[in-house]
Amino acid sequence: MANFSIVGKRIPHRDAVEKVKGSAIFTSDIKLSGMLHGKILRSPVPHAKIRNIDISKAVKLKGVKAILTSKDVPLIKYSISPTWADKLILADTKVRYIGDEIAAVAAVDEEIAEEALELIEVDWEELPAVFDPLEAVQPGAPRLHDEVENNISKTMSMECGSIEEGFAEADVILEDTFQTQAQSHCSLETHCCIATCSPTDDVKMWVSTQAPHPLRQRLAATLNIDAAKIHVSAPFIGGAFGNKIDLEPAQALCVLLAKKTGKPVKIEHSRKEQFIATRMRHPTRCKLKFGVKRDGTIVAKQAEVVLDNGAYNSHGPAVLAYHNVMFSTLYRVKNIKYDGRLVYTNKNWGGACRGYGDPQASFAQEVMLDMIAEELKMDPIDLRLKNANIPNEVTANAVQITSCGLKECLTQARDKSEWTTKKAHKQKYRGIGVAAMIYTGGGSIGSGFNYSGATLQMNADGTFHLLMGALDIGQGSNTVLTQMAAEIMGVDPESISLTTADTDTTFPCMGTFGSRVTFCAGSAVTEAAHGLKKQILETGAEMLEANIDDLEMKEKKVFVKGSPDRSLSYAEIGAASFYKKKKPLVAHGYYNGPEVPPEFNPVTYEGYPSPALVFGTHLAEVEVDPATGKVEVLNFVAAHDLGRAINPLLVEGQIEGGAVQGIGWALMENLQFENGEVVNPNFHDYKMLTIKDVPKISSLLVETVDPNGPFGAKGIGECAMVPTAPAIVNAIYDAVGVRIKDLPATTEKVFQGLKTQG
Amino acid sequence: MESKHRIQITVNEEEHDLLVHPNRTLLDLLRYDLGLTGTKEGCDEGDCGACTVIVNGKVMTSCLVLAVEVDGAAITTIEGLHQGDELHPIQQAFVDSGAVQCGFCTPGMILTTKALLDEISDPSEDEIKHYLEGNLCRCTGYTKILDAVNNAVQLLK
Repeated sequence: MANFSIVGKRIPHRDAVEKVKGSAIFTSDIKLSGMLHGKILRSPVPHAKIRNIDISKAVKLKGVKAILTSKDVPLIKYSISPTWADKLILADTKVRYIGDEIAAVAAVDEEIAEEALELIEVDWEELPAVFDPLEAVQPGAPRLHDEVENNISKTMSMECGSIEEGFAEADVILEDTFQTQAQSHCSLETHCCIATCSPTDDVKMWVSTQAPHPLRQRLAATLNIDAAKIHVSAPFIGGAFGNKIDLEPAQALCVLLAKKTGKPVKIEHSRKEQFIATRMRHPTRCKLKFGVKRDGTIVAKQAEVVLDNGAYNSHGPAVLAYHNVMFSTLYRVKNIKYDGRLVYTNKNWGGACRGYGDPQASFAQEVMLDMIAEELKMDPIDLRLKNANIPNEVTANAVQITSCGLKECLTQARDKSEWTTKKAHKQKYRGIGVAAMIYTGGGSIGSGFNYSGATLQMNADGTFHLLMGALDIGQGSNTVLTQMAAEIMGVDPESISLTTADTDTTFPCMGTFGSRVTFCAGSAVTEAAHGLKKQILETGAEMLEANIDDLEMKEKKVFVKGSPDRSLSYAEIGAASFYKKKKPLVAHGYYNGPEVPPEFNPVTYEGYPSPALVFGTHLAEVEVDPATGKVEVLNFVAAHDLGRAINPLLVEGQIEGGAVQGIGWALMENLQFENGEVVNPNFHDYKMLTIKDVPKISSLLVETVDPNGPFGAKGIGECAMVPTAPAIVNAIYDAVGVRIKDLPATTEKVFQGLKTQG
Repeated sequence: MESKHRIQITVNEEEHDLLVHPNRTLLDLLRYDLGLTGTKEGCDEGDCGACTVIVNGKVMTSCLVLAVEVDGAAITTIEGLHQGDELHPIQQAFVDSGAVQCGFCTPGMILTTKALLDEISDPSEDEIKHYLEGNLCRCTGYTKILDAVNNAVQLLK
């Protein structure tokens, strides 16, 4: 184990003091002089043609400063990729879900803006709507987008090896269908943005986003303005979980309202808007067929998948690709067939949501594995060990794995949970279940982009300033990334000042998602730090008239090895660089990797190009109340291969938060629709777990030291909720023999299952 | 709109004499009239606890309280806990335990913990959970928040 002085230490979040004092500024805390408040008129119907919008009464309301309808905005469709663009910031001729944006108002206060919305009259021609993706693909179903036949936005088909030969080889074949439900991200802070527009059309936006640089590009493209005229800055972010990556229509409308009025405009979503009209986890239906040998070897696996897209694409096509990649890459299986469809329905639309399709894939695959283990009378952990991925392998779907600690995760979780003892001495109504996972630990360059930049400069007083495009959304990247820089520079991480998440002052970063920041931004930061260290040593060598190879850096000094009296402090070097040499020391780091391998097929996503893959195992122990079906999670072990834990305290925070989000999805959380309308758009009816509902989460950090990761580190953020639901559902089966194949595993469903057993 | 009402309140030991509309919530009064933005709005429906403040020693979700209802009250917000650079032991425990991630629920969590520990100096785990049940957190999974409360109990001894 390498000996580090700062990397690997349990250092609290560097922003925590500001946050506990209440002085941390979030977007909604910003109040500018003369600021107007924007509100959005949303469709109350799931599918309709807009015949006419009459704003004549609304414009006359005192205090209303501007109203926008589709006539006032560029009719440029967007999505996360131009290829999939299908959404206008304001509907022109048609609305496709309850919540679709129709008009925007800016007024002197929120109440007047809301009153103005009520005065806008829309003349509708309601259309038949479709809410079930299986109905939506039928001939004659209502069509959402004129140019999209059968409402199928995207298909994805892949076959590796020969699925037919694989099944012919199998001793046992199992088939079943698994379904997952919509989940809302539930960041405590809703979407909020403030825009100003100067007389020269320079736009400044403060916004709660996960991706300032891509947001600038997307605003520029959608509003048809030069990106250089847009300055995006992200204050503190109150949680995101994938919901704040894509452009929100509110952000584009905020810019246009600021432009039209010449005043600062703020738009803040209500909690209800957050539930009904911002993104959610795609519901899925996954039909699986697995072929296995008697010894447990999986010889063939096949998936037929339907992702319910809702009304628009956002990340949908990429989520489908990830569903395929994660399903297909986990375990060493030679013969794989995947057929997926992304289907439009007249509902709120899915988007990026912690795990990006992988929790859905994991649920189906990992419950299926539990069923196979039972069929083969094999221990479920042994079955997984038998098929587990190994380091440096290339999988059947041409994915290059580097570091891989899946087997260690399985065995360490088994030992920690006392699995063997608990299996041998089973208590009535108690059960234990396992599930494994794979995910990216550094984003992907499948789109051609996986960039993060960093600049590290030495100030005149010998201190350091780090500038990064990457932003901390609460996960702790500001702490972790300064730890990396501090380790290399030999200083206290707190002493490094920071500029982040600002498009005008930092190198670009793709954003905080894809469990990529530790790896990608970390790679950029370490490159910059090594570059600056070299410059400092070169300067020191010149000033000390010594050979650079004879120099060492320690305790904020450069000195000649063996002659500690021949030394220069960082302050002396900093001052000399600014005032004598007139050449301040500054170094850049920029990551955009890995190289796309020739095997990468952007259609099937074979050869998925990720810089590093991460693995994990969740193990849940539950107790089921036989009288009610209520499930209590008693113990929970989460083992994760994360390369190296730069900060174990923060890593545990990611794992605990992810596992609890996963337990919520497994047992309770369900964004429910009736005829296209969300019927539980509040925290009272949409049940998030409270402190009363959660078990103690035991985190096991499996350090495989990735060959390419900064200090060997890989990502963790999303991974922590991927295998949670199947571990719980498998534990419920172990406890009472009720097999849940349709999430969430509510008390009612478990009770019905118990009743069916008699 | 009805005419404004005059209220006198003490916030973080500072007295305020204010004219407020009858429909002004305590949350908006604190955030927008007094500039105390540490109190957060997470749902505006009393479900999430982000807007928790202490009114006359009791926790309240300030989004559900009208400003006119607290005339004469003594209110503590998150800004009233630390003394200059010195954090209150509960704040320090939240920092040290890793109980803060995005920080949006944090002020409400800390104030609920303050009310709990003012009432019960050495609470059981069940008592802690009972008190904090109304404060939602999406980031931490609550594990380190529970650690923080337990650590605060030790710091306060």
